[in-house]
Amino acid sequence: MELALSIAERGAGLDRERALDSGAEIEAFLREVEARAYRIAAMNIRDRDEALDLVQDAMIRLVRSYSHRPSEEWRPLFYRILKNRIRDEQRRRTVRSRVLSFFGGTASEEEYDPIAEAPGASSDDPLERATSGDAMQALEQALKKLPARQREAFMLRNFEGMDVAQTAAAMGCTEGSVKTHYSRAVHRLREMLAEHGEEQWA
Amino acid sequence: MSDEKDVSAFERKTKRVFDESVAGLDAATRSRLTQARYRALEELKPRRSRAWGFTLVPAGALAAALLVWFTVVPPTTDVDLDVASLNDLEILLAEEDLEMLAEDLDFYGWLEEQPEFADAGNGIG
Repeated sequence: MELALSIAERGAGLDRERALDSGAEIEAFLREVEARAYRIAAMNIRDRDEALDLVQDAMIRLVRSYSHRPSEEWRPLFYRILKNRIRDEQRRRTVRSRVLSFFGGTASEEEYDPIAEAPGASSDDPLERATSGDAMQALEQALKKLPARQREAFMLRNFEGMDVAQTAAAMGCTEGSVKTHYSRAVHRLREMLAEHGEEQWA
Repeated sequence: MSDEKDVSAFERKTKRVFDESVAGLDAATRSRLTQARYRALEELKPRRSRAWGFTLVPAGALAAALLVWFTVVPPTTDVDLDVASLNDLEILLAEEDLEMLAEDLDFYGWLEEQPEFADAGNGIG
């Protein structure tokens, strides 16, 4: 009887330790990913507070729904959630813009791109950005001109350092599509940044 | 080959530029991110409470059901059950009872012929 109690207590102790380990592990993951996730969200949304809200929402959803999953799955799951939230926000902005356009606003119905139209730095010209010495702003401006899927693939593969399989899981597409999107993104970015003669991107 | 090297250098460059921009985040933004992380981690607490709830609710229901059962239905001991079962078995399995009934038929015939019992059987007396 005492032996059974001892085993049960030990089991409960292990469960508690496991839960604490899991909590510490997911906290470490969030700590590691939060700043880059915010930066990626901010580049897409171009609004600091909105970007912070989206990152927080993605964190909450990950912890609430997927904290029990193996830790190797957290990164693609987290970025999938974040990507979907960013898309939702972009759609919301698009609808708002179209409504404004319908009621006499200035946004064009066919050409509206929420990222390109979002308030950004003082100049949208990659050359001007690059020559000003601000490499990141030049890169951001070039990224804005990419199609959404290429931009996603580039950010996840290059900025976040995810492999092809993880990126595919995060984007919800095949690994072949990821390779294609990423390759096109890299070549297009190189063209955009290099064709302006900026040395630092050569 | 040269193009591949260039691509690779470009990729390293973009990664470095991005990492530098992340490292340069201001303190206020980092503070907001920390708060966001703590808020997200709060989600772990209710889950643990719910897990205990899922364990305790059925256990409580079972305990209540057992209490009602033993209060309403008088308990029967295992010994009583065993004795009753054995008696029933003995009666059902007893072969001599039928034999005894056949042997006593003569006695019952004689008893019926006795006058005092015959009157009693007719309702007289």
